Amino acid sequence: GGGLLSSFVGKLGMSMGGTAGLTRQEIQPALVQLKRKLMERNVAEEIAEKLCESVAANLVGQKLGSFRLISTAVKEALEAALTRILTPKRSIDVLREVHAARARGKPYTMVFVGVNGVGKSTNLAKIAYWLLQNKVKVMIAACDTFRAGAVEQLKTHCARLNVPLYERGYEKDPAKVAFEAIRAAERAKCDVLLVDTAGRMQDNEPLMRALSGLISLNEPDLVLFVGEALVGNDAVDQLTKFGQRLADLATGPNPHTIDGILLTKFDTIDDKVGAALSMVYTSGAPIMFVGCGQTYPDLTRLNVKAVVRSLLK
Amino acid sequence: MVLNELGQSIAKALEGIKTANTIDDKVLDACLKDICTALLQADINVKLVMKLRTNVKTRANNADKGAGLDKRKIIEKAVVDELIAMVDSGGDVKTVELKKGQSNVIMFVGLQGCGKTTTASKYGAFHKKKGFKPALVCADTFRAGAFDQLKQNASKTQIPFYGSYTETDPAIIAAQGVEKFKKEKRDLIIVDTSGRHKQEEALFEEMRQVAESVQPTLVIFTMDGSIGQAAFDQAKAFRDSVEVGAVIVTKMDGHAKGGGALSAVAATQAPIAFIGTGEHMDEFERFEAKAFVGRLLGRGDWKGFVNK
Ligand SMILES: Nc1nc2c(ncn2[C@@H]2O[C@H](COP(=O)(O)OP(=O)(O)OP(=O)(O)O)[C@@H](O)[C@H]2O)c(=O)[nH]1
Ligand SMILES: Nc1nc2c(ncn2[C@@H]2O[C@H](COP(=O)(O)OP(=O)(O)OP(=O)(O)O)[C@@H](O)[C@H]2O)c(=O)[nH]1
Ligand SMILES: [Mg+2]
Ligand SMILES: [Mg+2]
Repeated sequence: GGGLLSSFVGKLGMSMGGTAGLTRQEIQPALVQLKRKLMERNVAEEIAEKLCESVAANLVGQKLGSFRLISTAVKEALEAALTRILTPKRSIDVLREVHAARARGKPYTMVFVGVNGVGKSTNLAKIAYWLLQNKVKVMIAACDTFRAGAVEQLKTHCARLNVPLYERGYEKDPAKVAFEAIRAAERAKCDVLLVDTAGRMQDNEPLMRALSGLISLNEPDLVLFVGEALVGNDAVDQLTKFGQRLADLATGPNPHTIDGILLTKFDTIDDKVGAALSMVYTSGAPIMFVGCGQTYPDLTRLNVKAVVRSLLK
Repeated sequence: MVLNELGQSIAKALEGIKTANTIDDKVLDACLKDICTALLQADINVKLVMKLRTNVKTRANNADKGAGLDKRKIIEKAVVDELIAMVDSGGDVKTVELKKGQSNVIMFVGLQGCGKTTTASKYGAFHKKKGFKPALVCADTFRAGAFDQLKQNASKTQIPFYGSYTETDPAIIAAQGVEKFKKEKRDLIIVDTSGRHKQEEALFEEMRQVAESVQPTLVIFTMDGSIGQAAFDQAKAFRDSVEVGAVIVTKMDGHAKGGGALSAVAATQAPIAFIGTGEHMDEFERFEAKAFVGRLLGRGDWKGFVNK
């Protein structure tokens, strides 16, 4: 191409479908726009940047069909990348694992971890409700022995759900409480033990060490990271540091890191769904559950298509 | 707090224009790009960041027309001004300061889990040290264990409290509690409410009813320091529903830089009065917007700088 036609078509943002393929310069404006949109939808800056770079790397040099809009090509490439990232590479069927554990005569232990106030205890109660509906026998362990009212919060849920609670009050070592709770769940022939832990900042060394201690002592079957959809750029740091902490300890062939993510408060963010992407991109862990309200039935699965649509709309 | 990190990035970007030989469009764009990236990483609202970029550019270009003006200084000052404008609602923190000898009724509102109950107790403890006679009222009848949480915090800080395990209407409890403590001549009555969000209108209606029944002298909107781009819309919805007079940003002891909450100030038009810096009752500090930007940029001398 060249000359007048080429510059005219360039202005329209169309590819000439020429010999050289797309250039970085040609796709740059579309990339800038998409990055901004991702950030408006609450994707962490770092993740939005990385995504756009990988889309660029894929597109540069590619030949588009004649007169296709460059912005459409960029958008499609990004859509494909988003879908790929959000679609779980490994999936965990909790009910199947619970049944397998039952056959072994061991309670299946799930630990809920995350920063302060994200919804660990509430969504733990929702999971209990879901398990009960699936005829699973549940026990809850009150291993947040720090925050005011944490034990009473679980007591209330347990009374409503008619589920046994293992608690030793406040200021006890949470790792030991969990340890005893596992024995209690075994004795009571419970299928599942749900372990609530205190919220903690990922930079808080002593508290992070204590959490690693709880996990290495008790070797739970599933470590669920609970994160809220409201969180901004901090999502990246939270997942990185919680994951790192668990990996540091990991020994043996199947190192225990974050097994899955429970994404909460999805009902509070309209189309700003970017935290889902930041969390999965950072950790590689699947979003196993989505909290979408404050009552027991408000727990769903991630709808990847809908999230991608919200991100690009 | 990692505010310093943001401050360093901005200060570094500003250094860039100091060392450049001439400040052309390219130098300015590069500097602004770095600043904007730092702000976006701090969760500042995307639209506010774009506005900052445009405003600084306009001021820099206007400076071109005036002869003899130092363009570098103009750009630096424009950036600092824009940052201050972003975190400074124009409202004076002094107007939200409590007055002794009159009855202050403070109502805490905010999203779920942002730290209202914890902060309400910290706020009481802070003012108790200043000679106030605080009392806490639990008007959260929804969250499991809410009353026990408030009770235990109240005992830790030795503040009288009021609440109920059986009453389900928060407006009734709130009114009862406030009345009781007014009779007892407590001069700082703090009402803690349930978490809520703009998508559920019934919850906002409930908040208006509580406000109606206690007639607060000040409504404090509490916000989690790690909140992202949803901050602005939520804050605005709260402001449109009740008369938010001040903001408290919590969990500033974490890694998050608090920019989401900072941009919510633009939505509430209310000043940030305090920040929370930990789970313990004394981890609570006053906040001052201008000093904050100074600290952000790692300058102790921002005052002189801004007045230049
Ligand atoms: N709107 C909405 N609110 C939620 C959701 N999940 C939890 N919450 C609310 O978030 C608040 C905090 O929930 P908790 O379960 O106490 O959070 P936590 O992580 O256990 O808190 P700490 O133990 O103090 O760290 C409560 O008001 C919950 O009702 C959700 O999916 N949607
Ligand atoms: N690290 C840290 N944690 C905090 C801070 N303020 C509150 N928290 C923690 O955040 C979590 C939620 O605090 P709450 O006071 O229960 O929040 P809330 O807004 O009352 O929650 P709801 O009533 O459920 O809406 C608790 O674990 C608190 O200990 C803070 O400044 N720093
Ligand atoms: Mg909890
Ligand atoms: Mg509360």
